[in-house]
Amino acid sequence: MASHRCLLLKGVKSMSGINPVVGAKDVKPKKPKKQKSSALYKQEHRVAFLFVLAPVIGFLLFSVYPFAYSIYASFTDWNGLNRMNFIGFDNFVKLFQDPYFYQTLYNTVFYMIGIPIGLGLALLLAIALNRGLRGTTFFRTVYYIPVISSLAAISIMWAWAYNGDFGLVNQVLEIFGVQGPNWLENTSTVKPAIILMAVWKGLGYSMLLYLAAIQSVSKSFYEAADLDGANSFQKFLNITWPMVKPVTFFLVITNIIGGFQIFTEINIMTPTGGPEYSAASIVWYVWQKAFKYYQMGYGSAMSLILFIFIFIVTVIQFYLNRKSDYSLD
Amino acid sequence: MAVQKIIGGVLIMKKLNLLLAILLVSSMFLGACSSKSSGNSDEKEITFMFRGGEDEKTAYTAAIKKFEEQHEGVKVKIINTDADQYSTKLSAAVSGGNVPDVFYLDSGSIANYVDNGIIRDITEDVEKADFDLNSLWQFGVDIYRYDGETAGKGALYGLPKDVGPFALGYNKDMFEKAGIPAPDKDKAYTWDEFLKVSQELTQDTDGDGEVDQWASGFNATWSLQSFAYSNGASFLNEAGDKVTVDTPEFAKSLQFFSDLSNKYNTTPNSSQSETLDTYQRWMNGELAFFPVGPWDMSAYAKLDFEYDLMPWPSGDAGKSVAYVGSLGLVVSEMTQNPDLATELAIYLSADEEAQQTLLDAQVQIPNLVDMAEEWASDTESVPNNKQEFLDIVQDYGVPYPTFATYNSQWLDEFWTNITPVVQGKKTAEEYLKEIQPKMQKLLDEANEQAKMSK
Repeated sequence: MASHRCLLLKGVKSMSGINPVVGAKDVKPKKPKKQKSSALYKQEHRVAFLFVLAPVIGFLLFSVYPFAYSIYASFTDWNGLNRMNFIGFDNFVKLFQDPYFYQTLYNTVFYMIGIPIGLGLALLLAIALNRGLRGTTFFRTVYYIPVISSLAAISIMWAWAYNGDFGLVNQVLEIFGVQGPNWLENTSTVKPAIILMAVWKGLGYSMLLYLAAIQSVSKSFYEAADLDGANSFQKFLNITWPMVKPVTFFLVITNIIGGFQIFTEINIMTPTGGPEYSAASIVWYVWQKAFKYYQMGYGSAMSLILFIFIFIVTVIQFYLNRKSDYSLD
Repeated sequence: MAVQKIIGGVLIMKKLNLLLAILLVSSMFLGACSSKSSGNSDEKEITFMFRGGEDEKTAYTAAIKKFEEQHEGVKVKIINTDADQYSTKLSAAVSGGNVPDVFYLDSGSIANYVDNGIIRDITEDVEKADFDLNSLWQFGVDIYRYDGETAGKGALYGLPKDVGPFALGYNKDMFEKAGIPAPDKDKAYTWDEFLKVSQELTQDTDGDGEVDQWASGFNATWSLQSFAYSNGASFLNEAGDKVTVDTPEFAKSLQFFSDLSNKYNTTPNSSQSETLDTYQRWMNGELAFFPVGPWDMSAYAKLDFEYDLMPWPSGDAGKSVAYVGSLGLVVSEMTQNPDLATELAIYLSADEEAQQTLLDAQVQIPNLVDMAEEWASDTESVPNNKQEFLDIVQDYGVPYPTFATYNSQWLDEFWTNITPVVQGKKTAEEYLKEIQPKMQKLLDEANEQAKMSK
């Protein structure tokens, strides 16, 4: 902030220096004039500063302060109700011995299997919809509906669909003579069931971004490829895929960050974390600890670890992306 | 001159902008504070935070209106939240130091909130008020007592919003069709009798070779307590510092619970007992026995068959046991108007009209003993044996095991890992032996935390 201010003031000085009215010989009248114009700029600067101040205060108050507070809380035995006692690294020591911490972390990472599946499907759909077939607009809307629907409503709906007795999924399976499991109550099916739902929910969003990316690829590339006799798979591999790579990168990052924070689906579809905690995600466990078991300090410690994880993963991704980055003029 | 004019104009504009900016920023702060001041200085505002459906909203809005009419210059601000967000919102309000004057609190959290100085001892205020505590269920009052050591006795910290006895219901039509005498409302089945009837009722009614009518399908979380406690077992010792699930009595009850599904096949099938799927089967008339809470009555009024209430089957201890919960109305320690807040809590707990509204909506039994008894004396309407609810509250009901512990983690551990047992993949004895130390560890942790927060 300070350096920025200096730059502005410097600008003011040099501008008045250029002013031809101010003679080089006469030094005295130069001063008041210079002060006058810089007062105006100062004034303007002050106003600008106030405008900037509002979001800065908001950021400090609602992001930095809670973040710092949460870091401090992770070193205390705070129960969320009353005073906090500083207990050093106790929470973290306990955390790394907590089997449910690993279990929920594993579950959370497991859910991310859905990311490549979802992106692959989204890209396929986007390519299909880009062909200009009939009913494209209709399907675009259809695939986008889950995105704009409330996640809570969707979760309730899917929980019904997965119901072992009366669920739509098992009824459909029955037509093919398959006796479906009780999806959400079985340790081996609950995670795939939730992944399936998450993929379905996220498909429309990824598809739309891919569609936009594909449509912005210049036709001349494909024409050139046609002249060279490339088949459609080669065109996809060498033109479409590299051209939509930035979108893929963006989606992978946002999906991983979102994936680490998966909560609503879990909380609604498996309110107790699923049989033997097989569905519980890390954020769900944090919430459980902090708000249900009165261990806000422990919950804070866990979310701090989660933050570090997300941070590291994102840094790695940015690094990888920069390595594979290229530009096409 | 013209230039100066322009500059002057710009300056004025800048000043105006500055003013606007200051206004903007300061209004942000004002906005954050204004919710606290209540305009008129002699007008008192009490906030009431609760969760609940339409019926509760209707009942309480009317009660609050009456309260406001009788107290001039008092305004009650109502905050209603979704049931699943209530506890999170309350925690946020508490840690933010912005506790509502009167709010719902689960009976199991009383000790915790008292230890942390959040809720107020209302013993004296209730005594001073023109109100007879004996008009309420003793269970519903005592569960809000706490003496600093043991929950359930000592000073009063809340009044019941409701009491929720978890009775056992049965499908009357099914018994008639099968030619089996209906269960005696005064004499509980023994487990042997229960099993025998269960086996008789589990049938293939349409003769297609597949069973389509079952005896039961209980959810362990809410029903196992009845089986275990009536067999002389318990989850926790009296002092609340030892998990007592590793006893033969407990093992026998859990095994019986599991055998109902896996050995005798009297429930739909094992993997469903953890869900409430069986709820739909009960509604369809496919189950003979199913738990019934007062809040179920409005939904069950639309059943195609007639149902009634009966005591839970009893194990070796020879006496029925049922779970009874309660949600409380408590007063904030920080309230500016303790008298008024307490009075409001009394109103909401014991106002006759509000209780009548809730009773008519068939979502709870009245908190007022007289009213409840009058209601139960009507044995014509379904369920005929309403008295069973009252018996549970007065006689054989027990609170949820975690009621007196700092948190419920130790018991959740039990439910989380119980699936293999109810699916018949693990014996009860094996499971209990394995889970007890884990539960004990979590209980010790909870107790330690409780001590720290005192």
